[in-house]
Amino acid sequence: MSRRERQASTAQKGAPGYFAYSVFAVGLIAGIALGLAVTRIHGPLQRSKSETWQLRAVDGNHYQIAIALEYAHRGDLPKALAKLIAMRPAHDPLAALAEAACALGSSGYLRSESGINALSSAVSLYASQGRAGCAEELLPQEATEAAPDEEIERAPNAGYATPLPTKPPLPEAGAPISRHAPTPVPRRSFEARSARSHCETAAPALIEVRVVDYLGRGIPGQRIRVRWGEQEDIFISGLKVDRGDDYADFQMDEGLEYAIDMPGAAEPLGASLSTSACYSEGRRALTSWRVTFVEI
Amino acid sequence: MPRIARSLILGLLLGALAGLFFGWIPFPPDARNSAMPDLSQRFRDEYTVMIAAGYAVDRDLKGALERLSLLQVVHIPSYLEKATERIIDTAAYDLGDIQLLVRLAHDLGRMTAVMAPFLVLDSGGS
Repeated sequence: MSRRERQASTAQKGAPGYFAYSVFAVGLIAGIALGLAVTRIHGPLQRSKSETWQLRAVDGNHYQIAIALEYAHRGDLPKALAKLIAMRPAHDPLAALAEAACALGSSGYLRSESGINALSSAVSLYASQGRAGCAEELLPQEATEAAPDEEIERAPNAGYATPLPTKPPLPEAGAPISRHAPTPVPRRSFEARSARSHCETAAPALIEVRVVDYLGRGIPGQRIRVRWGEQEDIFISGLKVDRGDDYADFQMDEGLEYAIDMPGAAEPLGASLSTSACYSEGRRALTSWRVTFVEI
Repeated sequence: MPRIARSLILGLLLGALAGLFFGWIPFPPDARNSAMPDLSQRFRDEYTVMIAAGYAVDRDLKGALERLSLLQVVHIPSYLEKATERIIDTAAYDLGDIQLLVRLAHDLGRMTAVMAPFLVLDSGGS
């Protein structure tokens, strides 16, 4: 048998019956699915190099309390917030801290003096930012009385309670501080970060203002001032419930120039706003403005 | 029949390897199932510093020990000593943090030549 004949014979014997590509493809797909399923069930490969956001709930709670303890020492709110955010909570990081404190307080954490101190630190941190949880209820009375109100004063830009035009009365000397008492409304500072005009026939000549915190969450109850000529008007964020906590608007008139600021909280926007004719989808309208004030 | 079995097994094996690779390396699972001891050294150090900062406030040694015990180290004072010396050597944290660690280590009965210069007995309690 010549060499060519041998090759032909081998090819005839092996090639068609040796490998079934369609079955291989099915096996490959099943194998990939199986491998991916194993990784999802097993979790991350290198558990010894986990980050804080990968902590299971109970350990995450303890880590958050440690952040609050550090805050009690330093009073460094941005640092504490950065660490809380790094834990990638599903929602507001301070609300997540309140939930962690609540969960620990409900699970025997308060049996020791140490636990009471730690939870008091957590309560001080989130209460200073206007959040509430069940831990306040769980703490012994003396701990809540001893909870340092200076923590609240230490965060001058904090507070989510609805701002009141007058300063709330100070508690009498020696009187216990109730955790349910409305927190004094501290001054917050804002900065106009964007002002963009747009043309919309549905809402012509409007100044639409949004007031958000550094995490982009709406802040209701903030006073916004518009001045034109010798006149001015104040409007409040969050009153139009259907537009969100952060929303407020003001109707402009043609031919006037408007300056916008937040009295005592934000400098006036650099440019004045005015409305003029514009066309949207072939229809005449008046330009509107979107202004965003961001807490700093 | 052997042809089908051979193809299937080979496909499964290669597929499983590919699935494990892609599932662990480029696209690791977003699982929140790690325990405190699983944290990377960076975050274990961060946690230790935070506990030391808490200790500076309440001077509650038992509480600090309880919290550090979550790291499941064999001997907490030894762990703290090693961690503190490593942090000093690598200058991974600022002076205030090192002083907090040294103070806690000192109160746990651990003081070494490396740590001694950073001991400030009245550093806490602010």
